[in-house]
This record gives sequence, structure tokens and C-alpha cells, in this order.
Amino acid sequence: MNLYVCIKQVPDTETKIKVNGDGSGIDTAGIKWIMSSYDEFGVEEALRLKEKTPGATVTVVSAGPDRVIETLRTALAMGADNAIHVELPETADSAMTAKAIAGTLKKEAKVDLVFFGKEALDVAASQVPQLVAAHLGIPAVTVVCGIEYAGSNLKCKREIEGGSFEMVEVAAPVVIAGSKGLNEPRYATLPNIMKAKKKEVKAVKLADIGVSASDQKIKMKNLQLPPPKQAGKKIDGDAGVQAQQLAQALHNEAKVI
Amino acid sequence: MTWQTFAFLIVAGTAFTLSGRRFATLYRLMTAQTGKAPEVKDIGKRVQTAIVNVLGQKAVLKDTWIGVAHTAIFWGFLVISLGTVEQFLMTLHSGASFEFIGAGPYSLFIMSQDFFTGLVLLGVLFAAYRRLVVRPKHLGQSNDANNVLLFTGGLMVSIFLMNAFHVLGSHPDYESSFFISKSLAAAMTGLNLDDTAYHGLYTAFKWIHMLLVLGFAVYIPGSKHLHIVAAGPNTFLRKLEREKGMSTINFEDENLTQYGVANINQMSWKDALDLYSCTECGRCQSLCPAWNTEKPLSPKNLIVDLKKNLHTNKPAILEGKTDQITHVIDEKVTEDVIWACTSCRACEVACPVFIEHTDKIYDIRRNLVMMESRFPAEVQAVFKNMETNGTPWAFSPSERANWAEGLEVKTLAEAGSAADIDVLLWVGCAGAYDDRNKKVLQSFVSLLKKAQVKFAILGTEETCTGDAARRIGNEYLFQTLAKTNVDTLNRYEVKKIVTACPHCFNTLKNEYKDLGGNYDVVHHSQFIAQMISSGKLKPQKALDETVTFHDSCYLGRWNNVYEQPRAVLGSIPKVNLVEMRQHHDQGLCCGAGGGRMWMEEHHGTRINVARSEQAIETGAKTVATSCPFCITMISDGMKTKDMADKIQVRDIAELIDSSTN
Repeated sequence: MNLYVCIKQVPDTETKIKVNGDGSGIDTAGIKWIMSSYDEFGVEEALRLKEKTPGATVTVVSAGPDRVIETLRTALAMGADNAIHVELPETADSAMTAKAIAGTLKKEAKVDLVFFGKEALDVAASQVPQLVAAHLGIPAVTVVCGIEYAGSNLKCKREIEGGSFEMVEVAAPVVIAGSKGLNEPRYATLPNIMKAKKKEVKAVKLADIGVSASDQKIKMKNLQLPPPKQAGKKIDGDAGVQAQQLAQALHNEAKVI
Repeated sequence: MTWQTFAFLIVAGTAFTLSGRRFATLYRLMTAQTGKAPEVKDIGKRVQTAIVNVLGQKAVLKDTWIGVAHTAIFWGFLVISLGTVEQFLMTLHSGASFEFIGAGPYSLFIMSQDFFTGLVLLGVLFAAYRRLVVRPKHLGQSNDANNVLLFTGGLMVSIFLMNAFHVLGSHPDYESSFFISKSLAAAMTGLNLDDTAYHGLYTAFKWIHMLLVLGFAVYIPGSKHLHIVAAGPNTFLRKLEREKGMSTINFEDENLTQYGVANINQMSWKDALDLYSCTECGRCQSLCPAWNTEKPLSPKNLIVDLKKNLHTNKPAILEGKTDQITHVIDEKVTEDVIWACTSCRACEVACPVFIEHTDKIYDIRRNLVMMESRFPAEVQAVFKNMETNGTPWAFSPSERANWAEGLEVKTLAEAGSAADIDVLLWVGCAGAYDDRNKKVLQSFVSLLKKAQVKFAILGTEETCTGDAARRIGNEYLFQTLAKTNVDTLNRYEVKKIVTACPHCFNTLKNEYKDLGGNYDVVHHSQFIAQMISSGKLKPQKALDETVTFHDSCYLGRWNNVYEQPRAVLGSIPKVNLVEMRQHHDQGLCCGAGGGRMWMEEHHGTRINVARSEQAIETGAKTVATSCPFCITMISDGMKTKDMADKIQVRDIAELIDSSTN
């Protein structure tokens, strides 16, 4: 069974994000990079499946500049067997990323399951898993918080609106976008960290998979930080007065009604 | 050859063979340990500590009454053994008596035998009374202990009866030297037997005594009483200094494939000797913060259970079948036991035979964390924060110096070089990020300025010392962080460091040495004491109230700093300094050491609440602390006890800052 996990390298959640000079993206200087935490669910799920499936292999794929190799090594240290680095520019959008990942996976001998996180911690676009599935012509199940495996059939528990869940039955090959609750990702053991340092990371160039700059559909022109949060306002008085003042504030200040 | 000689040769030969084999097995088991033992240096000091603590019984006497009883038994046995040797020799050859030393000295020898037999018997009776009637909790119930009491008591009684019947049956020249046995003999005359019968009884009790001695020799290797052989060497081989760093793993060593202890044979031979030395006195347990708040950890049980594990795995270890050795974590030594330790070292302070309990725990944690990735779930975030942000808490490294905004504190980069300052102020993660502890740092900075000390901080160049990672068992992460800091400190050629965090203090002072970091490190309590004694700081404003000082484990038990913080507090006019029930090296941990700061406390009652209760008992209005974790834990404890508005928890730097102009 050939298991693939697509992971994204994102700034650590404690990073103070700054916009770069021309507003085309964030200033990457001094940022501590980590694996997007939803993707960790994907890595963990693939590793657990591998551990109970003789002969299964886990390959992690990350698209981005050279620094993403560090995050691939994190996944290797968790226990992944192989790593592929898709050389993608910093500015790539979801469309280009998805095409590059799909192109990379198409070159692989056999793909059974492709795990993702349901969204990336940084831009939270929730695009790439479904787009990759479309490129590959296979189904995608998103926001998955539990999976039961029966051969090549999967029963996926999905979190849907209103705090409810739905069960989806699907057969491999399939794209799974994991969410919180799917598992508890492991902490790499030291022997695996040591081994991961020596493992080869395969590089894939965009030209080899037919991806070019024209595949980027969105270009950032003027990225801005959200305005600083204003202090909250407390409305006093009895319910009638409070309701009246709230309605006025929503109308006059927030201009939402 | 008399029948006695013949019988003795057979019985003693068998007993010594059995006993010798059991001891030999213990020795082989000890030397089969694969872990690295510390180097044995400073022989002179070792001889000294052995004399003071073995012959002088200093550590044993810390618990006065049982200490006196033990000293009596110990010395009694040394002296009585001489008599036993004579007895054995005379059984082999009737002319082998010690009488050749002269009538006077021999008479003294006999008197000493009688005297010490009486003394040991008193000691044993006291020990039996304590164990069976008083029943101190930390002793527990032990058949082994009862057997040992029966053996020792039986030995003494048999000596007295033997001597009494010897007096009655043989009327020896030195009869009057048996000054106790003689009285017993006088009481026995009522039996109205003839000399032959008395002599027969003498022979019978002599044999009972000899059989008890030989039986005991066979019994001891399998008993906790093994301490009579192991505790002496263990005292000689103890860590000489109270200050210690944890052992440093060499990750460059490619032959090293196992980090920490997964199987009992991966401990060092010294660890095995520790296990052999334990006589289950329970002093460690009665001082353990975990045990005293109903956690599954008892340092005594840990040692006993590890010893059991060693014995269970004896065949596999001795036959080299390492794959058959069972895991060190078993139904007795559970993961909960291992994670309950706060690394306060109270057990090590209490142990009269210098067992180092906590080292075993760290080694087991190292395997669990680095080899098996088994640790409390909440710790993972702590590791990740340390890895990415260089702090156990989720804060950005770019915000590390925010606490000093507006204080005009220079960074070392701004100050130029270490030569331009008197001392580097090591802030630590708590001082940098925790709101309560930021105030402590601000107060300390105020003091440094009042005393016109030239100082600087590393600012955003500082990162976590890695103490918590190391105590939790993540040596790799610790070394990653430590190397970053050592590189930074050495680049600036830093010589002197002051810090308000005892954990940073201990790590910088005792643990960075192995990684190339040699600095003169002082804790802020020492630095403030020095500023006061040199007259640079003059506490003037009175604090007319009762204050109690809570000892931080990493300052006190880890580094022997007890008096300076008290001297600092004592310098405040009108202050009434009182001690809690437990203080100095008997102090109770706040519960946060050993990485426990970041773990949930699932078992028993809370340690910080127990400590807060002790502080409340004193009637103090202020609890003075000198550690960021302690201040957090005791403050929380006071909130739990609904005393937060009645009792303040303040760092000594804050108290001195309020008292100085």
C-alpha cells in the first residue's frame, strides 16, 4: 500500500507576522517554520496505517522553497519512509500548488491514499486537497476526524456544520483531508531523528511535471495586516436599554445593520 | 578431630559456599551492568566520608533515636564479630583462643563482648518496638525486616545464654569479666544442674549461635540486610558534592544506540550498588513530596522494585540474553511512578547510605522520551515550544525582551562586550514571559540600578536553558538549547552571570560545563546578599510583619544555598522571619521541579497546596520565594486555600526593592 502525505511548512503560530516591502507576501526573515498542525494528523494517520499494513510505505510530499526540506525531515523523523520536495516558488497560490503536487503524484508508480490536513495553518484556504483530487480524478473526503479501514474501503467520519458528523464510505484511491480528532500526532524518537537526517529527499522540478508560472492564478498585490483589535465596549443598563444601545451601535458604529 | 570440629567443617563449609555463591552472583550481576558509571576520584575525601558516615554513623544519626540504636547495633556487631571469629577458630582447634593477648587484655575483650551484646540487644529491642509497636508509616510491613530482627536478637540471646552456661559449667578464670552473663548465670542456678549438664547447655547455645551466624550469612545476600556489605562501599563511592549536574550523553558517539535505561542492565554498576545498599528504612519516602501527596511514587518502593526487576532478570543478564530482559517499566515501576518525581532530591538528602534515586528516574525518563516517545501528552507542546521558540511557553522569541521595555536595560550587543559590564543578567523564560515573574525581574533590575551595578541582558539572543527538557528526559533537546546558549555566551566572552531562576542557575552553573560553558554563576539571592553586605544596598523601610521563606529545591538541595536568601530577608528592618514546619534541606518542594511545572497533577492532593498550608500555619503575612516556579505554585496554592488576599507571595528581590530607596 502506497501512502502519501502532503505537508505544508508554515510560520510558527507565535510568529509576529509582518508584510514584506511590496505587499506581495509576508516578510519571511526570522520566522520559525513548523509543519502545519493539521498536516501532522495526516502524517500520523499514514504512519499508523503503515504500522498495521505489512509492506506499506509512507511518502511525504511538500511543495515550496528549499527550506521546506527541514519540514520534510520532521515528517521523516516521525517515521515516514520517503520524502519528495516539489520546488515551488514562495508566491505560489493554491492552484499552482495543487497542479504541482498532482503532477508529482502522477509520476509515482501507484498511489493508494493521499493524506492532507483540512487546511493550512497560515492561509487556511482549504483548496489544495480537493484540487489535487480533481487533477488525479479521484474522490476527496475533507474535514475527516476518524477513519475505519477495511481493505481498500474506508469509512470516514466527517465533521459538518452545527457540530454534527456524517459518515462517508469511499474506496481507495482517495484524498483524505484530516482534522483535529483524527489522532494524536507522535513526537519523533531520537533514533528516528538521527535516521531522518541521513535520508534522501527527492527533488522534483516544475518543468518535469509540466507546471509553469502561468499556472498561478492569484497574485498578491497588497497584503495587509488586519487592523489592530479595538477594546470591547460594555453596555450597561436593563435589558431594554441594552438592546436599544446595541442596535444603535451596530447601526451607527459597526454599520452592519 | 572432635565431633564439633567435624560438624563445624561441614556446616560452615556449606554455609560459606552457599553464601559466597550468592555474593558472587550479586557481584557478577553488578558488573554486568552496561551503563556508564561516574569516575571515582578524590580518594582522600572518600576515605574521610566513609569514616565519618560508616564508622561515625553521621548520616544515620540524623534521625536521632533510631540512629543511636543503629550505631549501637553497628558497633556492637563489629566488636562481637571478633568474638565470633574466636569462637569459630576454637571450634576448629580448641587451643586457638585469643587468650595469648594476655590475661588483662583478654579479660577486657570478654567484658567488651558482654557489654556490646547487651547494647545490641537493647538496640534490637528498640528497633523491634519501633517496627512492631510504633509502626512509623515509612517503614511499612516487611517479613524480611522481621527475620533480620529475629536473627540479630537470636544471636545476642544465644550469646548471653551460651556465656551464662559457660560460667556455670566451666567456671572460667575470667568469670568476673562476664559482667552481664554472670548475672544471668546467677539466675540460672535455680535449674540445679551439674557442671556437665551446664556445659552441655553451653555447647548447645554455642551451636545455636554459630548456626544463626552461618544461616544469617546465607540469608543476607537475598535480604535488605545486604546493606551491611553494600552500604559501606556505596558511601565511599557516593557523589561527594551536593551540587551536581545530570550526566551528559555524548550524541557524537556512534556506538551509542541506547539513550537512557529501558532495561535494568542498562544502568551502571554504581546504580546496582545503590539498589544493594537500600535497607528500606523509608526516610526517603517520608520526605518525598510525591509520596506525601498520595502520588504513586515512593522513592523507597522505586529502589526496592528496581532491585526486584534486577533479580527477576538475573538469568537473562548473566547469560547475556539481553533480548529476554523485561522492560524497566512494569506493574510496580509504572510510568506514573516515573513522572511523579519533582526532582527535588529530598530522597537523596534523607538517604543514610547515599543512594541517588533521582538519577534512576532521569535515566528511565530518557529512554521513555527519546527512544519510545512515551510521556504525558501535555509535554509534547512544551517540547515543541522549546524547539521552535526556545521557551516552554507559547511565546515568540522576538518578544523575549519585552518585559524590560522602558527600563533602559541594555543588551550585551548594545553594551559592547562582557568586559564593559560587571555581570550578565540571565532573565530566564519565566522572567521574560510570565506576567508575575516579569515583576520580579523588574524589581531586581531596580536593585541593580540602585546599587549601580553595570549589567546587561542577552535580550532576544537568550534562549531557554533547557532545564525542563533535561529533567523530563529530552537530553537531545536540552543539548540543542544549551549549545545555542553556550555559543552565545562564549561569543561575548561572558564571565559572570546572575539569575533570579534557580533552575537556570543550576543549569548554567553545573550543567553547561560539560558542553564547554564555564561561568561564574550566582543566584540573585546571593547577589543581593552581597550588595547588602558590601553596603551598596541599604534596606531601610521596615516590614513590620511575619515573613516565612520557602526554600527552592534547585537553590537549596541542589546547590546548598540556604542562608543567603534568609540573610537578605533578615536585613529588612523589623521583619520577623519564621520557618515553616519543613525548611532548609528538609523543605517541601512546591511541586514544579523536574518538568512537573508543565504536567497535570492527576494523582492525590496537590503539592503546592500542601506547601501553602505549611506556610499558612506559620501565621506569616508574606511568603518569600526565590524561584519563578515556586512563586507561581505557592500563589496558586494560596488561591486554592482562599488566602490569596491575606497572604502575599513575593520574591526576595521585590521585598528588598520595597525596603530600599
